[in-house]
Amino acid sequence: MVRARDAVDSVIARTHSQITRSPHTIMLELLAYDFMQRSLLAAALVGAVCSVIGVFVVLRGLAFAGAGTAHAAFAGVTLAYLLGFPPLSLAIVFGLATVWITGWVEEKGRMKLDVSIGILYTATMALAILFLGLMKTYNPEVYGYLFGSVLSVTTEELMTIGGLSVVVLGTILLLSKELYFIAFDQEMAAASGVPARQIFYLLLTLVALTVVIALKTVGAILVFAMILIPASTAYQLTHSLTQMTLYSMLIGIFCAVSGVLLSYAFDLPSGPSIVLLATGLFFLAVCCSPKRLHRIQPT
Amino acid sequence: MTHPIIRFDHATFGFPGIVALEDISLTIPESEFVGVIGPNGSGKTTLCRAVLGLMAPLSGTLRVLDCACEELRCHHRALIGYLPQKGMIDRNFPVTVLEAAMMGRYGALGLFRRPSQKDRDIARAALAQVGMDHHRDSALGALSGGQQQRVFIARALAQQPRILLLDEPTTGLDLTAQHSVVELIQQLHQELKLTVLMITHDINMIRSRVDRLVLLKTKLFAQGPPQEVLKPDILSQVYGKELVITDKDFVLVEDYHHH
Repeated sequence: MVRARDAVDSVIARTHSQITRSPHTIMLELLAYDFMQRSLLAAALVGAVCSVIGVFVVLRGLAFAGAGTAHAAFAGVTLAYLLGFPPLSLAIVFGLATVWITGWVEEKGRMKLDVSIGILYTATMALAILFLGLMKTYNPEVYGYLFGSVLSVTTEELMTIGGLSVVVLGTILLLSKELYFIAFDQEMAAASGVPARQIFYLLLTLVALTVVIALKTVGAILVFAMILIPASTAYQLTHSLTQMTLYSMLIGIFCAVSGVLLSYAFDLPSGPSIVLLATGLFFLAVCCSPKRLHRIQPT
Repeated sequence: MTHPIIRFDHATFGFPGIVALEDISLTIPESEFVGVIGPNGSGKTTLCRAVLGLMAPLSGTLRVLDCACEELRCHHRALIGYLPQKGMIDRNFPVTVLEAAMMGRYGALGLFRRPSQKDRDIARAALAQVGMDHHRDSALGALSGGQQQRVFIARALAQQPRILLLDEPTTGLDLTAQHSVVELIQQLHQELKLTVLMITHDINMIRSRVDRLVLLKTKLFAQGPPQEVLKPDILSQVYGKELVITDKDFVLVEDYHHH
């Protein structure tokens, strides 16, 4: 972690001194650094996974659930640092507990989804603040999970991100038709012989895993933007489920990789660079949406 | 009498503290067209959910496709084509007509299996049966309400079902579309010999089309051929002041509470 940060500082210092060199040369030099290769690979994986799961989150109306999960996962990270556990282990536990409770509450219809998530969202954030308070000393690594630090991703973390990404994307690939169906109409899916309840909980589990994958890269505060924004942008552009997924993935990877490069080029924090780029594309898509410009009248 | 495909035997359904349907005994043979009527809160949708195996009886039994409803597995449900009450469809939901019809194949296909060309052909044939194949590449949200209902019927047909279960399929449609949808359902029943269970508020629309009417008011109030069920004394007991009989052939049910 510390070595990676030193490398970042070194690169930034060199960049300022090499301002007159061509972008092409700087890019080639940049890609020669191990940390930058790791960062770009991590960003591409996070961009792909977040944006693909985001399609189902957006269509199934689980937007707020993802935000709650991100904050719950951060509470898990803070507890892990407090107890000396691997941070991602408790992030997964907290994330899964939150999405499963959320799903259970929605299934039972005991209260509106946004209310139950709101309660869990704030409760887990309160836990995170409590755990941070109990640490007594300032721990910059914990805050890396809150705000994201893609440039300091280690090889071990990259392997974890890669492994979880394969699990999430592979599951989505295998069960895409069922996931699409429950996103369209869960009751109709159940009535048609699809194990809709189990698929719904699987979707929630995948959301939690995705949040954990992206936590280190873009941080707990911004991770949900990476789930929501590429999918919402793709939603503006097409009437086809398959195309929406493809567009979302391309937008997610583009924004994540470009955001990292922009953050390097202009000495900006990486998480906000990725998210603000995605947000810009979203508003561009809203303005240019073929759905709005060429709305077909019912026949 | 042909083989019963749905059989309620003193079945009671509900939730803790609430009885939605009480002591129902009803046998529906294969290939029959049954209309289910009754005022709001009479248990029509509960009946529908029970047949789908989404609710188990609190007492009594319900057998669907020779299987106890609480044991209905996914492959049984795949044989029940279901058209839910018309909800609010997000007009921008990214699904084409063909993609929506293809969803009817997913239950029968099972997990992990990708739809094949044969599945696409079945979905397209179902769209052709409801007259929507030429719209297969259109966005579902771009269609009118009546056309969307046709697509959902095609989705149900793509399951290649033995039972077609329709929960108020004409709600929210204009009069022309209502007639068109009900005529389509009758035509499909006749051509495919499907068992059709159609829940509706529109007595006028189905009275001449169904083989049997089932009148619910939490209990099974009456059942039989339409002319035996649609008698003023029976209907007034169920609907009370909501019912207006304008002449011998025309019955109106005020539907102020229906949404």
